[in-house]
Parts: sequence; C-alpha cells; structure tokens
Amino acid sequence: MSPTLAVALEGAAKIAFVWGVVLGAVLPNLIWVERRMAGLIQDRPGPNRVGPFGLFQAIADILKMFMKEDVVPMYADRLLHTLAPLILLVPAMTTFAVIPFGSTIRLFGRDIPLVIADVNIGILYVFALTSVGIYGLVLAGWASNNKYALLGGLRSSAQVISYELAMGIAAISVFLAAGSLRLTKVVEYQASGTFLGFLPLWNCFPQALGCVIFVVSAFAETNRLPFDLPEAEAELVAGYHTEYSAFRFGMFFMAEYLNLIAASAMMATLYFGGWSLPLLHLTGLLGGLVSVAVFAAKTGFFIFLFVWVRWTLPRFRFDQLMNLGWKVFLPLSLLNLIWTGVLVLAKVI
Amino acid sequence: MPALNGQLVVFGFASFLALAFALLMVVQKTPVRSVLSLVVTFFGLSVLAILLAAPFIAALQIFVYAGAILVLFLFVIMLLNLKEEAADKDDRPVQRTLGLLVALALGGLLAGATLRAPVPPRGAPTGTPIPLPDEIPALGRLLFSDYLLAFEVLSLLLLVAAVGALLLSKRRFE
Repeated sequence: MSPTLAVALEGAAKIAFVWGVVLGAVLPNLIWVERRMAGLIQDRPGPNRVGPFGLFQAIADILKMFMKEDVVPMYADRLLHTLAPLILLVPAMTTFAVIPFGSTIRLFGRDIPLVIADVNIGILYVFALTSVGIYGLVLAGWASNNKYALLGGLRSSAQVISYELAMGIAAISVFLAAGSLRLTKVVEYQASGTFLGFLPLWNCFPQALGCVIFVVSAFAETNRLPFDLPEAEAELVAGYHTEYSAFRFGMFFMAEYLNLIAASAMMATLYFGGWSLPLLHLTGLLGGLVSVAVFAAKTGFFIFLFVWVRWTLPRFRFDQLMNLGWKVFLPLSLLNLIWTGVLVLAKVI
Repeated sequence: MPALNGQLVVFGFASFLALAFALLMVVQKTPVRSVLSLVVTFFGLSVLAILLAAPFIAALQIFVYAGAILVLFLFVIMLLNLKEEAADKDDRPVQRTLGLLVALALGGLLAGATLRAPVPPRGAPTGTPIPLPDEIPALGRLLFSDYLLAFEVLSLLLLVAAVGALLLSKRRFE
C-alpha cells in the first residue's frame, strides 16, 4: 500500500469514526437526555412512552421532522431560505476536524494520532468556522421575510460577534501558556506537569477567570439559554426559525446540538486537559482507548452542564446580554490575558 | 505545461470561485446577495492562501473578513431593510468614470507586477505532504521587531476610526 493511500484511508476512517459517534450516538442520546432532564428538573415524567425509559424518543422526533409538511413562505427569498440551514449545519459538522479526541494508538504497524487534522492554526480554524455559522442564523432571519425572524437574525449577529471577542481573548491566554495554536500541543502541555505542585496543569486552574468567560460565552455562541435571545419565544415567536418547518427546522435543531457538542469538546480540550488524566500514563492500545474514554467523559460532563443550565436559569434581557459581553467579559478577558502573561514570565506555568 | 495535479485543480476551482462571485457581487441587485457573493469570494481567496502554505492567513481571512466584517455589513443592510438597490439613473457620471479609471489602473499595475515577477522553480510534485512549521511565533516576532512602528501606527489608526465613528453617531442623536 502506498503511503498516500494509507494516509487517505486513515483520514477517512477517522472522519467516519468521529461523525459516526457524534451523529449516531451522541446526537440522538442528547435529544433524549435533554427532554428527560427537562422532565426531571421540572418535576414531571418527561417522554417515557417510546421504548424503555423513552430511549427511542429521538427516533420518533427525527421521523416526525421528516414526515411533516415543508412550508416556504410565499414572499420568502427562496434560494437563501433553502441555503440558510445548510450554511449553519456545514460549519457545525466540520469543527470536529481539529479536536484531538485521544492520544496515539498503534494499529497495523502505524502510529495513528487520534485527531482528524492536526493543523498549526488549531483553534483559529474553529473560530473561523463558528463565525461563518452566524450567516445561517442571519440569513434565515432575513430570507423568511418575517419581522420576528428578522429581529432574531439581527440579535444573533450582534450577540455572536460580541461574545466571540471575549471568547477569543480568553482562548489567546490558553495559547500563551501552551506556546502553540495546535490543539494537540495544548493537550500535551496540560498533561506535562503540575500547577503549584499539587494541581494538574489544566488551564482551568491558573486561568480560572478565562475558563469561566469561555464557558459562559460558549452559551451565548451556541444560542443556548440563558442567552437564547435570537429565538426567545416569549418575544419573537421562535426568532430566526419562525418560518421553518419539517426537516429544515430539523437542520437548525441538529446544528444547535452539534455546536453544543463541539463547544463542550473545546472546553474539555482547552481548559480541562483534553484526553489526558493526571497520574495516568498508560501506553499502547489500552492507553489510546482509555484516553478516548476520558475525553468522552469530560465532553459529556459539559454537554450535561449545557442541558442543566438550560432548564435552570431564566433568559437574560438583550441589553443585559450586551452589557455583560462588552462591559464585563471583554475587560475581564483582557485582565486574564495579562495575568497569564505574568504567570508565564514568572515561570509559574 | 505543468501536469494536471491536485494542486492545479484546486487552484483553478478556487480562483474561478473567487472571480465569479466577485463579479456576481457587483452585478447583483439585492444588497444581501451582494454581501454573500463577497463571502464566497473570501472563501476562494482563503483556499488560495492554504495552497500557498499559509493557513494562518487563510483562517484570518475567514475569521476576520467573512466572520466579522461582512456580518456587520449584513447587520446594517438588514437594519435599514434594504431590499433592492435604488436604480439610480447614472446621476454620478464623474464618480463612475473615475472608478473605472482607477480599476483599470489597478488592474494594469497588478498585471504588470505579475508578468515581471520571477517564475518560481517548478519542482516535481511529491505525494507526501510537507509538514507545516508553526508560523505564528515567527509572524509575532516580526510584528514586534521589524514592523513594530507600522503595526502600532495601524492599530492607532483603527482606534481613531472606531472613536470617530462613535463620536459621529453620538452627535447625530444629540
């Protein structure tokens, strides 16, 4: 087998694995977890009819999306109305490419790093893609030719740009500490030592402030409660996807969940050591499998956090959201950057 | 005649995309579609940057231009709710002529520079990808040493522009 073919096969296998796990396992279970958790938190049973504990609810939900009538408003911009959910979905599906989901395993005489593309721009790639995703929301709002949808689209563009700033500056501190934009290097750095002698060198300890900013901003970036202003149903009917039905609505739904999963994976990677676990230095195939499990557990925790927060906190007002983003998070993220610089200079981290 | 390899195909596709959508941006009547055409052009340009082994530039192109600046364009267009470009009956003949002249001059300049540029040595295309070095440290070092003055002046300029825009918009409300 030629080396080029081997590289291509390896890449294809990894893409198939990541998409298979995300779309086939995490996404349907997330639908179930979200609905059952909502029930639990609101002290009601939740969906429990389809299958044991309602486990097949996701299948029923997805089938429903496909069976319903697909309505396009008469005065909508047909082309953009069709494109908008796709523009949102494609970046959401491709962010996973640079996230390392495990260490290195050795199969068929080859060392296979468990990341699809270990590019030297790492997080910039993720940020670039998420910033493209905004177009989906904005265009959905505009193309629907509906005032509520338009307002939702406007809100989403203002919100996502505002929070991208604070999030980006918080992420810069991470790379200041790790010395590279490569996400694999960021994980290796966090696995490499201890902070203050007894804590793991996870970025969430020396950069606790940046970590909080990143996590909260991620809620705004993914349009999840308490920051789901673009689709605030009490004010805007359903915001940018008011005029979407059937599987087109399903695509928005899917993109939101994919973004949520990607954001959780990014939190685990940037601030909580990625696939590494302190005091655990397994090698070989077992080590590789354990690292994947560790990464899945960390990501799972943040997915759980997203769901938990959604059903716990009420929605912010839009001016509160903007004030928080520009007047609180932006200065604090700069402070965190300076703090990290001091730590790096003092050789504490 | 270079062999038809993958790089050439990608180059052709990306350039075509960039040029075609740049043209679409100009002739499009709906402002929102114009902005979107420009976004596709930026994607084409960023693919070209990747071909030049500069993924950092490519990512910035998408992140800054497509992801932030053009979203603001869209934001303004949507806020003013511009549906169709007002069909002005050529009431600015001077600007139109000047614009054409400047465009021709710029095009000539670029074409001249391209023709005079030395032809890079054409090595045999290799199947194995070259591992890219981390270009960001080198870029940062350059920005804060050789180009420090230009860099700082540029950031000052941007700051002044932002403050100026704020001042103008505030004054209108008072």
